[in-house]
Amino acid sequence: MDSTDNTLGVTALQAGLARCDYCGALHRLREVDSCRLCGAKVYSRKRNSLQRTWAFLLVGLMAYIPANLYPIMLTSSISGNTSDTIFSGIVTLAESGSLFVAIVVFVASVAIPVSKFVIIAGLALSLHFRWDMSEHSRHVLHTITEFIGRWSMIDVFVVAVLAALIQLGAILTIEPGAGINAFALSVVFTMFSATSLDPRLIWDTKKDG
Amino acid sequence: MNTNSPGKVSFDDLVACPSCDWLHYRLNIERGSRASCARCAHELYTHKPFSIDRTLAASIAGIVLLLLSLFLPFLSLSRGSISSSISVLDAVGALWDSDMRWLGLLSLGMIAILPTLRLSLLIWVMWRLRYRLGVTSFMRVAMRWAERLEPWAMAEIFMVGVVVSLVKISALATLSVGPAFFALLGVILATSLISIFYCKDSVWTLLTTHSA
Repeated sequence: MDSTDNTLGVTALQAGLARCDYCGALHRLREVDSCRLCGAKVYSRKRNSLQRTWAFLLVGLMAYIPANLYPIMLTSSISGNTSDTIFSGIVTLAESGSLFVAIVVFVASVAIPVSKFVIIAGLALSLHFRWDMSEHSRHVLHTITEFIGRWSMIDVFVVAVLAALIQLGAILTIEPGAGINAFALSVVFTMFSATSLDPRLIWDTKKDG
Repeated sequence: MNTNSPGKVSFDDLVACPSCDWLHYRLNIERGSRASCARCAHELYTHKPFSIDRTLAASIAGIVLLLLSLFLPFLSLSRGSISSSISVLDAVGALWDSDMRWLGLLSLGMIAILPTLRLSLLIWVMWRLRYRLGVTSFMRVAMRWAERLEPWAMAEIFMVGVVVSLVKISALATLSVGPAFFALLGVILATSLISIFYCKDSVWTLLTTHSA
């Protein structure tokens, strides 16, 4: 039992109840399909949560490879044509003296996606093999992955803005490269992956309830 | 593991944690405070003062600024005698024109369509609740979508993207920001205010107890 006296000491699932994700109404587990109050679909745990998490994560991971290999931005000017990948773009920024912005782009395009792959895979593995890990630290990790994923879209918007703005004909033209497509796909699918992972599963493995 | 049958207690007196499913008795909390889960500390419910009024106000401000930010000039660039000026929609159009149609659509959705849709739904639901025009089942559907769309509305991320772009080309040309830039800043402020003012618990209570 918990120390505070306003809890029942069990989960809703253990009490045979399921919570509506939207309005929070509780239902008897076996009786419902949709919420008696708001009509949303009611489930105790997200269906096939781990399978969906893995599926979306793998697609995100696969898309992240071409995202880094292909150029995300093509620049053509009088002095010749150049192309930038995610990584070379960061290096160029850092070399031109904009170290802070280089760090922002590095965090959004490299650090966040990579750590997301690692964290989600780690969480899913820990659930699958029932590793003995603190629920609280896993809970924090899950909250972080849900919150930070969207920030990876920065690079996509940078390319869109530059491609729209820099259309000076022969003098200087910037066009989006194939890599940005793959990168956006990767971000979207890892966002799906993070939301597919039901945080309640983290606590379900706790032995003493 | 065993628990007394919840038959003694009404379902309405119980709250399950949205994040870890731990069951709590619902307590009457003071205005302006929040109840959080005893096990995982996730927020259970809040009691925010004037939530409907404030959310409505912030949503109306948000949608006006959003529409301004989409159509007004956003950035302009000049280098010698050449100058160009773009709106947010031009940035999306650039992706579309470069044969990246789906990426153009995705950005259009994240910057323009989804935020507009979410704010319209919020305004409609809050307006009807505010002026007691009766609760319909479509309002519940609308509110579900408004909540579901939240992570996909990315105005603030677009803004950071714009700032990065500015730095990237500052060496190439002279840049200046247009009125839409400031309108978008306002959108970000309004959406943050909505998340501060919006009281999920009281809105859903109104939406589910005053059924027409």
